[in-house]
Amino acid sequence: MIIGEQKPLEEIKNLVTEYERILVLGCGTCVTVCFAGGEKEVGILASSLRMATRIDGQEKVFDEATVQRQCEWEFLDAVEEEIRSHDLVLSMACGIGVQAIVERFPEARVAPAINTTFLGLPEEHGLWTERCAACGECILHLTAGICPIARCAKSMLNGPCGGSQGGRCEIDPEVPCAWQLIYDRLKAQGRLDQMLEITPARDWSTGRDGGPRRLVREDLRIQSQDHE
Amino acid sequence: MAYTKELLDQIGLGADRLEMHFVSSAMGREFAQLTSGMTERMRELGPSPLRERERDR
Repeated sequence: MIIGEQKPLEEIKNLVTEYERILVLGCGTCVTVCFAGGEKEVGILASSLRMATRIDGQEKVFDEATVQRQCEWEFLDAVEEEIRSHDLVLSMACGIGVQAIVERFPEARVAPAINTTFLGLPEEHGLWTERCAACGECILHLTAGICPIARCAKSMLNGPCGGSQGGRCEIDPEVPCAWQLIYDRLKAQGRLDQMLEITPARDWSTGRDGGPRRLVREDLRIQSQDHE
Repeated sequence: MAYTKELLDQIGLGADRLEMHFVSSAMGREFAQLTSGMTERMRELGPSPLRERERDR
């Protein structure tokens, strides 16, 4: 899922300074699960802002709403009236949700209340770690299901490097070496010979290096069906 | 509690206005000490900044 983290309250206060009627808009999907921008967090943030701005002597209205998915225009239509009747939408969704609002309602002023951090999973309560870099060319079958692109600091295709010490990455002792994890799992699965296979330099244009990406599924496009 | 205290600081209300203690029904003296201590602290802190704002309006 997409992991996010709420911005500091002081920063959010600065984002709303010049607006009076603010809609705090949550998202019911990824950011709800990682406790960053769901209905509960919308309530806490809106209450905090009401109190904080009042203490600062400002008269502002903070209304609350949460949609199931801010990253799809159809779900945003459910709160069209609320969006149009406020000076600012303070989005608690990921960066996709924020952009979906302005694409659907171009005149709407939108500000992000959370920082979108990465694609990952919860390892334990209160701990999320990165798992996928959305690189566009998955090789998890070669690496025992552990992603060296997202989990190796150098995104090495043939590791480990010399910075792997005692199973940890040189960038931070908290970070496990992805290639140590790959080695250990291949060994446990009796597939260590896989480590000897050299993965050639890959085409990075499927990732962010290729610029903004788009995915077309002609079989799903309504336009393409009309042509048949 | 740590999260809520930090939030109260960020809001401007102050973390010192909130405490949580576990006290059983058999701990009368501790209960009295805690509530007296909290009352004293509230006197020192004075009214909530929010209440003062309400008064100004």
